[in-house]
Amino acid sequence: MKHVIIGAGAAGIAAAETIRRLRSNDEIVIISADDAVHSRCMLHNFISGERDEKGISHISDEFFVKNNIRWVSGKAVEGIDTANKLVRITGGAEPYDKLLIATGAESICLPHAQSLNAENIFGLRHLRDAKAIREYAKQAKNIIIIGAGLVGMDAAYALSQIGKKPVIIDRAEQILALNLDPYAANMYMQKFEKAGCSFVLGREINQVNENAGKVDSITLNFGQKLPCDMLVMAIGSSPSIGFLAGSDIACNGGITVDKYLATNINDIYAAGDVTGLSGIWPNAVKQGETAASNMCGQPATYDDTFAEKNTMNYFGIPSISLGKVMPGSGDTVQVRKDKDKYQKIILNGGQVVGVVLQGNIAHSGFWLQLVKNEIDISKANKSVFNLSFADFYGVKEDGEYMWVL
Amino acid sequence: MKRIMVDAQNCKGCKNCSIACMQSHRKDNPGGFHSLDLADPANESRNLILLNGNDEYKPLFCRHCAQPECVKACMSGAMEKDSKTGYVRHNAAKCASCFMCVMSCPYGVIKPDRATNSYIVKCDFCQQDGDDPCCVKACRSGAIYVKEVQQ
Repeated sequence: MKHVIIGAGAAGIAAAETIRRLRSNDEIVIISADDAVHSRCMLHNFISGERDEKGISHISDEFFVKNNIRWVSGKAVEGIDTANKLVRITGGAEPYDKLLIATGAESICLPHAQSLNAENIFGLRHLRDAKAIREYAKQAKNIIIIGAGLVGMDAAYALSQIGKKPVIIDRAEQILALNLDPYAANMYMQKFEKAGCSFVLGREINQVNENAGKVDSITLNFGQKLPCDMLVMAIGSSPSIGFLAGSDIACNGGITVDKYLATNINDIYAAGDVTGLSGIWPNAVKQGETAASNMCGQPATYDDTFAEKNTMNYFGIPSISLGKVMPGSGDTVQVRKDKDKYQKIILNGGQVVGVVLQGNIAHSGFWLQLVKNEIDISKANKSVFNLSFADFYGVKEDGEYMWVL
Repeated sequence: MKRIMVDAQNCKGCKNCSIACMQSHRKDNPGGFHSLDLADPANESRNLILLNGNDEYKPLFCRHCAQPECVKACMSGAMEKDSKTGYVRHNAAKCASCFMCVMSCPYGVIKPDRATNSYIVKCDFCQQDGDDPCCVKACRSGAIYVKEVQQ
């Protein structure tokens, strides 16, 4: 049996490991456009100079040899011939018995800007993006980042660490609006400002002004114009499915998959950001594992789908957010804070529907279980801030813990 | 693999296990227990004993899970399950301090190091000793013991 995996990110690598664990003699080929395996979540550490190319790899040096995987690197996939079971790549084709598409996603660009191919507009999703940003930033003076989400703030952090003073623009009134409430976001914003960043929040972009093929300024609503000689687009991403144009693999935004992560075509699976199911690393890994198991003939379903969860760590302040960051109607809120610690719990009836923790996140993993499994906490008989796994404690025969509800 | 088994009903909440863990992992020149600085964040324990709402002791120790959520969540390759020993090992030098593992541990066992918030503090089975882990050797009540389990 020959398994071909397109993409060497979280899902692709997890799938390859799983296939090797289940099938010691099957052939495994990974095809990737990148020529260095890297973790997207560490690209800012590369730009800032804190890590080199090898330092942002999430696999060991001997990964491909140890797992007997053939890696076709630096090759873009041009299309898939599903009738003849071939992956067409630059200058050749790779036959497959089972195929996993794990090509990830691409940065998107504001509709009224030139494409990301313009000389001074950058996305931040790949090592090649990080390299381009690091190089171009050397001579840039007026760097603008559009989008104050996790990618935008990663870019801002990295650029501030190499002496740049980027301006971050977002239409929301706060930074990290999808992940944090205003209080926790403001804590970070102060640190970013101290590091040389400045913010334009609650404003729309009217025009990206170009001159000789390069962006030279940004016009905001109400007419304000900001000079710009380098623009980082951090407004989101869309699944990497361009190479499937004209193919019979069904897509709806991302590649359409069932709970087995199978596509509409026999023997073809998809996992990770390319499915559009979730943009979170652990979920991509589980999708890769699930698809791989099915590729090896061991039926598995992708069940742990909860994706309203994230962590971040800027300037040594860690945060975790789960579920809602702001209460809705019928929710109640409990807050506990001191000068460097913040805990906000959003409750609805006996359930925890949202959690924001900042500063001290020690031993906080149980909160994810409470939120995603909609666990009733009313029987716990204590303050919500004192909840822990002890209140749902169980031990299985083999010594693993289990939740007792 | 070997696992530290937990029998919560035997736990007396004495925290001998936690002190032994701190002593085993202290970074200063190891002396006797008496010289262990309990207030030094560098000496923090990898295990802890929680109380539930009925004031019952519930020891919290890393399970080195068969399907470790912390490993699946790790985007730097710092958290790995050793296929030979079964232990989940953390490589502090590789860790990118994203703390996805902290969020993902279903029992809230692991945590960032208190002194620097830059790597994960977790059980390593006192592997440098080659003997039973120090917490187990220190337990007087039979609440924790080592057993070979199938994975």
